[in-house]
Amino acid sequence: MSYSLSYKIQMKNLSLLYFDELKGYYKSKVMIILWIGLPILVLLFRLLIFLAPEALNMPSTFPIPISSLVGFIISSIGGALSAVMLSTTITSEMNKHIYDLFLVRPVKRHLLILSKYLAVFTCLILATFIAYTIGVIFDIFTIENFGIDEIYDILKSIGSTLAIMSTSCSIGIIFGIALSSVAASAILSMYVGNQLLSVFIVGAVFLSGEMDVFFFQILLGMLLTSLFLVISMLAFKKKQL
Amino acid sequence: MSKTSYLEFQNITKSYKKNIALDDLNLKINKGDIFGYIGPNGAGKTTTIKILVGLITEFQGKILIDNIPLEHAKQGLYQDLGYLPQEVGFQEWRTVEHALKTFGKLSGVNSNTLEDRINDSLKLVGLLDVKKRKIKHLSGGMIQKLRLSQAIINNPKLLVLDEPLSGLDPSSRFQVKKMIKELVKQDVTVIFSSHILSDVEDFATNIGIINKGRLLKIGTPTEFENYYDIGKIIEIKYDEGISPLPDIDLDCIQNIDIGKIKQKIHIKPNSDLDLSISEILKFIIAKKLKVRSFNVLRPSLEEVYLKLVEEDDK
Repeated sequence: MSYSLSYKIQMKNLSLLYFDELKGYYKSKVMIILWIGLPILVLLFRLLIFLAPEALNMPSTFPIPISSLVGFIISSIGGALSAVMLSTTITSEMNKHIYDLFLVRPVKRHLLILSKYLAVFTCLILATFIAYTIGVIFDIFTIENFGIDEIYDILKSIGSTLAIMSTSCSIGIIFGIALSSVAASAILSMYVGNQLLSVFIVGAVFLSGEMDVFFFQILLGMLLTSLFLVISMLAFKKKQL
Repeated sequence: MSKTSYLEFQNITKSYKKNIALDDLNLKINKGDIFGYIGPNGAGKTTTIKILVGLITEFQGKILIDNIPLEHAKQGLYQDLGYLPQEVGFQEWRTVEHALKTFGKLSGVNSNTLEDRINDSLKLVGLLDVKKRKIKHLSGGMIQKLRLSQAIINNPKLLVLDEPLSGLDPSSRFQVKKMIKELVKQDVTVIFSSHILSDVEDFATNIGIINKGRLLKIGTPTEFENYYDIGKIIEIKYDEGISPLPDIDLDCIQNIDIGKIKQKIHIKPNSDLDLSISEILKFIIAKKLKVRSFNVLRPSLEEVYLKLVEEDDK
């Protein structure tokens, strides 16, 4: 009985922290870049390809599905930015002892980490959908016979993009907890985050034909995210605040 | 009637690698006490407090709250605890109100009364007019008041204040002290740590002095004052420009320290103090001296504190 009450309180507090963090993140400078910057960047790229296809040695009749382009851009930029944002926020908040006031209340340490991850990932999901929607609108007007196959590709691309970004977020959390220098955690999370992106791409190349790239990336993303989050939570539990 | 023991620290030992932060600490705090926890920087005050509030979980020994071990009392303690850490920041994107709302909800304040609690705690610390302001726009003094405000948002029964006056300018120190005095009028058990004894001597009912992780002495302010026998000394202050008491020839006097406007008269150990006071006063009246103050000196708490720490350091 007492366990279930405690569990209820924990869930209630997780929800409170999640919405609080969401409120903090969605207005942050990094998120504004993701909300506005990514769709603009995507459109600029698409426009460049459309207007000067020879520059990229592509045929003028819609060379690359815009969705794939969007996926690549969002994964690399969105993943790196969110990893840096998470790592620097956590390092800086730990240095300022911000968590002390939460931890003297019925808040478990892992809930603080989980709420941050969920909040940033929610923002990323929304940013991804905004950028993809703009991409799809462009596709509809520029691709002949835009149909169900293209939509299926887009959905797969969204899944892969989110899997990569989720992994980047979780690696950012690890560095945020492990390091006490904000600059070091920013640099390392960006560097390792980018290296992880290559694992997803190279892995997909090696596996092409053997396994669906989409499923591979989703599976890898889920595995790595879970692993990194568990490591983060254990490290945070042991951390002397 | 003796007071009930509310908090009990039993044989608490805590080490950081090879450094012993707390060495077999035993301490009892009664319900309703205002406990001044005094010691130099690095003495072990913050470690004791962090163990009590659950920020440090790995230590040896036992803590009882209302006779219930801390680990079992935690669920209830969360609602009854107010904690002001020595150094703590806030997420600066929050407004004052938003921060208090979150901490209030987490402390279990009923949503129907939360708004009133926020207003009451802000009013007490004098921040009601900046309720909607973002934390990043608050001054250092205001942030310290906000820290205090979050500590009392849930009407705590146990208020733990870790160096609440450190880093404040004299004006803010005065204001925060005033607020704490207001708070302690309510039925709250308070633990107030400081490295400056004068911070707590106005309102502490009990004082504990800690140095190098060991509790050196615990007692009431009066017990501390009587701890060292400095002899029977009478201090007389005069109007400026008035020459101090002329040579006085009374049997009870051992010697006199003469200052510019004051004198310290040391009474012989075997003389009766009350009788000596009466004789000296008669002498002053006979000489028609203008006296500003006439006091029997007792060792100040600061002197006792310094002596205790000095002796321990040796």
